[in-house]
Amino acid sequence: MDYVQAIVDGLLFGAVYALIGIGFTLIFGVMNKINMAYAAASFAGAYVSLGIAQVVGLSGDFGLPPFVMFLVSAVAGGVFAYIVYLICFRFTPDHYELASLMATIGTLLMVDEMVVQATNGEPQNYPEVLQGIFDNPMLEFSEEFAIRGDLLTLFIVAVIATLGLLWVLFRTKLGLATRAVAQQRMAAQLCGIRVDRTNATTFVIAGVLGGLAGAMIGAVVGTLLQSLVVIPLTIKGLIVTVIGGLGSIPGAIVGGLMVGAFENVFLAIRGVTERDMYVMLLLFVFLAFRPQGLFGRVAVRD
Amino acid sequence: MDFYFGMLQIVGLHTILGLSAYIILLTGQVSMAQAGFMSIGAYIAGMLTVLAEMHLIPAMLIGGVAAALVACIVGFPALRVKGLMLVVATIAFGEFIRIFWFNFDYQISRGGVKLGPEGGEGFKQIRFFPENGWSTLDVAIFIWVVAGAVIAAVWWMDRSRAGKVLRAVGEDDLAAQSAGINLTVVKVSAFTAGGFIAGLGGSVYAHYTTHIEHLNFDIVMATFAIIYPILGGLSNVFGTILAVIFVQVFLLEVLRPLGDLRNLLFGAMIIVVMNFMPHGLFSAQVASRIKGVFSGRKEGANA
Repeated sequence: MDYVQAIVDGLLFGAVYALIGIGFTLIFGVMNKINMAYAAASFAGAYVSLGIAQVVGLSGDFGLPPFVMFLVSAVAGGVFAYIVYLICFRFTPDHYELASLMATIGTLLMVDEMVVQATNGEPQNYPEVLQGIFDNPMLEFSEEFAIRGDLLTLFIVAVIATLGLLWVLFRTKLGLATRAVAQQRMAAQLCGIRVDRTNATTFVIAGVLGGLAGAMIGAVVGTLLQSLVVIPLTIKGLIVTVIGGLGSIPGAIVGGLMVGAFENVFLAIRGVTERDMYVMLLLFVFLAFRPQGLFGRVAVRD
Repeated sequence: MDFYFGMLQIVGLHTILGLSAYIILLTGQVSMAQAGFMSIGAYIAGMLTVLAEMHLIPAMLIGGVAAALVACIVGFPALRVKGLMLVVATIAFGEFIRIFWFNFDYQISRGGVKLGPEGGEGFKQIRFFPENGWSTLDVAIFIWVVAGAVIAAVWWMDRSRAGKVLRAVGEDDLAAQSAGINLTVVKVSAFTAGGFIAGLGGSVYAHYTTHIEHLNFDIVMATFAIIYPILGGLSNVFGTILAVIFVQVFLLEVLRPLGDLRNLLFGAMIIVVMNFMPHGLFSAQVASRIKGVFSGRKEGANA
């Protein structure tokens, strides 16, 4: 058994967990609320791209460039995220976080059921659009250790997406507004920032990242199966967010890579059915010894 | 007639489940792990009656105590986090238990038949009721005896000093702490009590369905548990019971022709209620308004 291989594969795949974690953490940053439906709604975007591919018939030999799938998935993810914002956050009471929490859980169940209805609960083949950009295996160091080309592509795309997000957050007016709202909502409002619009934009940005993550998962795994994607990945994204520290983007990145490597090692040792149990144990270890997460602030009462 | 008895059974079981979350919610904590606690009661009580051939009632109590123990152990680390983090922690814990049962195999062969939980296949043949010749009505009565006991216990607790303490913690835990209330004891006790009730409900549920599997205790069940007290408002236990009747009888049975779309409908209902009546369908305001109508007073006289 080669642990180095497992860890490297896991780290590369962990990049999508990092993307999902960033989405959760961004929304928590501006709203101070958790959007339970975030990952599910974004993966619905991946299902939309898949549906289009099936209708147009792209899935056989893939005529269009692969980025079209990603683009469709990202756009649909953004649109769904906006819808989630409207139905779960825009009109629920601001000070009563239980309302938006339960509404997003309701949305999560709804999206899950919609995907079941759309796919009959069967796994759907996803075109492996990440294949062929690099050779596979890309780098072969020895017989036991090689870097997979599709995972490397996924990692690079995720890094580019993260850099893009950081550019938006730290180099544009929109990012300035987002950071202002995250820091002090009332003060931001007094400076003339439209908080509602900033919140909605943050949701859309997070949704775009999530849609991208969903499409990449589909492309690397080769299939999308509702019972393995919608709710399990929501939970994994939440775990990444908590481990990294709620509201911290570096935390989500480190947490995502860590969870990816960790689960892949346990996949190699204990098999696929028990893998997620160990990820949850990792969360409980963090809750017991470092509840604020890797990069989180220590909770203060306001 | 059996249809109505079946209805009665479901409402009774879900009332037990809803009240297990009600106690925890009184302290201001949202537990999404109630389905997990329920599964512990279900599997353990099922194993006791099937594999150890125990009578149902001691098996139920042991199942409830086992779930309470787990809830108590979970309560401590989970209490280091508050609010939304607790939601994440309890969701993860509920899924942890579910995946545990998915991997859990413990079968013995008796008379050529294999009995016991079998991983993903679930736990079949929990045949205590049919073996002892209980009819649907008997089972329904039994479920309601248990549910009635739980309702009475929670109602009494709610009106006693313990209820005041739980509510004080739920309203403002810092203020409660300043008043000399030990937060850890209160929160962990609420978790333990909630775990016991959920385990009790689970052990009845296992014998009522005769076949349980890990998918019975997924996030949908956890959402059911927590949504009843929220819809019912937290003013008293009867709101929770009304919410169970509303969801299970009206929403899911009357609209049965919609078939498989019921989960969709359940999700949509939560969204609609949270947007328009975030404090629940039977909240204190609504209750006082209804009271006002019956006593002939003008609306809002005592709001």
